[in-house]
Amino acid sequence: MRVAIEQRFGPLAEWRSLRGLLTGAAALALVVLVVFGLTTERFLTVENIKAILSSASIVGIMALGLTFITLIGSLVSLAIAPTAVMGAMVFLVELHFGLVPALAISIAAGALVTAAQGLIVGAWGANPVILTIGAGFLVSGVTAKASGGVIVQPTGGGWSTLNSTPLGVPLGVYVMVALALVYQYVLKRTVLGRRVTLIGENRQAARAAGMRIALITAIAFALAGASFALGGAFLGAFNKGASAQLEGTLTFDVIAAVLVGGTLVSGGRGSALRTLAGAIVIATISDLLLLRGLDTGAQILFKGVLVVLVVIATFVTSGRDAA
Amino acid sequence: MSAARRRAARWLRPEVLTPVVSFTVVLAAFLLTPAYHGHELSDFDVYNTLQGFASLGLIALALGLTIIAGEFDVSVLGMQALGGVLAVKAGASSGLLGVVVATAACAFLGAVQGGVIARLRVQSMPVTIGSYIALLGLTNVVAGNETLTFTNTDASIWINQTVADFFSPRSLIALGAFALVMLVCGVTRIGPELRALGGDRRAARAAGVAVDRRLVALFAVSGALPGLAGAMLAYSNASAQLNPGLGPLVLAAAAAVLGGLSLRGGRGLLWGLLLGALAVSLLEQVFAITALPTSSAQIVFGSLLLVVVVVDAPDLRSSLARLGARRTSMRQVPPERSNPRRNGAEI
Repeated sequence: MRVAIEQRFGPLAEWRSLRGLLTGAAALALVVLVVFGLTTERFLTVENIKAILSSASIVGIMALGLTFITLIGSLVSLAIAPTAVMGAMVFLVELHFGLVPALAISIAAGALVTAAQGLIVGAWGANPVILTIGAGFLVSGVTAKASGGVIVQPTGGGWSTLNSTPLGVPLGVYVMVALALVYQYVLKRTVLGRRVTLIGENRQAARAAGMRIALITAIAFALAGASFALGGAFLGAFNKGASAQLEGTLTFDVIAAVLVGGTLVSGGRGSALRTLAGAIVIATISDLLLLRGLDTGAQILFKGVLVVLVVIATFVTSGRDAA
Repeated sequence: MSAARRRAARWLRPEVLTPVVSFTVVLAAFLLTPAYHGHELSDFDVYNTLQGFASLGLIALALGLTIIAGEFDVSVLGMQALGGVLAVKAGASSGLLGVVVATAACAFLGAVQGGVIARLRVQSMPVTIGSYIALLGLTNVVAGNETLTFTNTDASIWINQTVADFFSPRSLIALGAFALVMLVCGVTRIGPELRALGGDRRAARAAGVAVDRRLVALFAVSGALPGLAGAMLAYSNASAQLNPGLGPLVLAAAAAVLGGLSLRGGRGLLWGLLLGALAVSLLEQVFAITALPTSSAQIVFGSLLLVVVVVDAPDLRSSLARLGARRTSMRQVPPERSNPRRNGAEI
């Protein structure tokens, strides 16, 4: 009898104590962050805050898109960086049409390539991680072939607009914030957003309710791909050129922003504003470590540990059981 | 069912058929390379294939074991990087010491990771993505943010020397590690238990499998194997890479699916995984012989993964069956009954 009760309620009790512990840990982390921030020279200056937002913007734009893939229960995409590089290349190549057409073509290309992956995942339940690894490799290979392995140069002058700084803040920051508000609205106030969340929460129930899972998954992936390409266009403009070198650790930076925002990786819980917060938190901490004189390695290490801790905290507070 | 038919049915299981067919096809492609490329195959090509296998095989084994158990360990990439740097640092005077330190440290970190995953019952994929990033950071910290050169030339020469025409100590160690894991899983109950973990975790727990302990051991092994691979790779190249990129994960995933593992967990044989890893190593050697550009190789491996992941997709068959049924019903059944939404069979 007692064993039965423990089996039924043991994990719950454990969660409750863990939840308290986590709240305490989060509060402590916040205090440490504030104290560190206040005692670090040049941290609380307008210039530095601008620098933080600026470094968060490109990763943030892409992470906002990835939020849709995570929310609908397709975990993450591992094709983020290749898609972004493709977006950058298409943008730069099409610039001779003008800024807006080039952006539109680039975004459409990203949306299309990613929507095709979403269709396969949604219709047949294919493993999204392996599928996106394969798709990413394919996109990398095709873009490398198309570009001939050289750095793609802009064919027009519109790229400098993306680097402009209205009111002293980079354009990318405005785009990131606007996108966060739009995506938040789509996720929370539209039928599409609610369907995305429901499919992520309970695919079987969504199917029983007659939802067109394949179509909605494809749309969610399309929004993600559009954001990857848009972020890529900013990346290409910032570097005034695009090659596979831009990929770096981009994929995992974007994933880290979504996870640190506290979106549940198995889907069904999360929001665009959380992702925005995640991107800004990571940029703030990296900036703080940089000002404190820590090197790149320490920054990456810190980011990784933060991701692990937030993933565990998000999971524990969601009260779900993977086993 | 006659004995012959039963035997045929055993061979037609996907975990048997997939690795046998893919290995045979790739082996044929390898043997036919001279025919279409005018390059005479030599012992050296086999040696090189096995050198490739020494890294790929160990990482595929680590990833494959976690896939069979229904998990997915992204951190194998980070363990490989860390293993290389640790081995170069610790192996400056004694090569053996470096390999042992690298493997043990990665096993320890993997066990800690497995403990967290088992204790909190949290999904392994997101946790290992975080730990992969953390491991890359740790690798940079240990290496002081620059590529390390391995100065112990004796160890580099020893590990790459040719043994019996085809092998090197490096590839023999990798094959030995594979054989050891196969032996342990084949002789003890661990093999079936791993599949049970991947097939139905709750049922495995109820049937008395020590789930938590198995997970800790599993992640310790999936840390140690890429750590060993990274250490030997660093010795072989006489330098340690700080970021291996996603490439090794792509090849390992390809080896796993060609090896007949189900990405949903619970299905797969270790000798199949071995054939899958050998197939991918052979394919890489064919690409090297024919001097195929990296971009073309990427396209081939990317397309390959896409095809197998679609074939492996759980809803593909039911979806095709539904499509077929809809066509049939459109021909035979009055239209008001052909609405698939109203017929409960879909759920």
